[in-house]
Amino acid sequence: MIGNDVVDLDLAKVQSNWRRKGYLDKIFTQAEQILIATADCADEMVWILWSMKEAAYKIDNRITGIRNFAPASLACSLAFSNDELNGSVSIQDRVYFTKTSVLPNYVHTIATAVYNQLSEISIEIYSQPNYPIDYKSLNAGCVSHHGRYLALVYC
Amino acid sequence: MSNEEIIHKLKPIITTYAPASAALENLNEESDFIKDLNINSANLVDIILDVEEAFGITIDNTSMEKMLTVKASIEVIKEKLSEK
Repeated sequence: MIGNDVVDLDLAKVQSNWRRKGYLDKIFTQAEQILIATADCADEMVWILWSMKEAAYKIDNRITGIRNFAPASLACSLAFSNDELNGSVSIQDRVYFTKTSVLPNYVHTIATAVYNQLSEISIEIYSQPNYPIDYKSLNAGCVSHHGRYLALVYC
Repeated sequence: MSNEEIIHKLKPIITTYAPASAALENLNEESDFIKDLNINSANLVDIILDVEEAFGITIDNTSMEKMLTVKASIEVIKEKLSEK
């Protein structure tokens, strides 16, 4: 099972004011808030962590059947190696592995329950208006859509 | 506060973050923030912060977990108001 999440950074900028009082406490753990506070680019770190949580939640929701809104109970950890942003997201005793790409206009994370599967995921990202016709029939393993971007992942 | 009064107070908050739609026009207890109203999940936090301000309550993360529908939100708001 795979998950993915794309964040259109330009839309996120106008859609969400994460600097609002109380906002970060409702979404991020203390450790994640330290990552944000010490990041070179705080905006980017907010959306990296958010897309990790969303991508992991999409798998966890299908595995457990639990639908809730508890972003702070999904704990991210990040490892920087070369140009890749690998990480993991823990939800209680369940762990999902993630890989995030950061581009000038969007952040995209893929997630899987099995570490080795990460390298087998193929990613297709489309920007408006160049979406594939009838992408719902393509049977992607997971679909994510935000702003101008559509991300489909296959395994 | 009755359910109708709570919905009346919730509607302008929800309208700030939901794209215009028939589901928004017909907002009711069964409305689901994400599935029916197409609210971006990052904006759910804004709704919860706005609800805290409008009703003068504090919503802990355990209560927030359930707040995916108008109905669940009404229950949490009532519970927190009764604790005041």
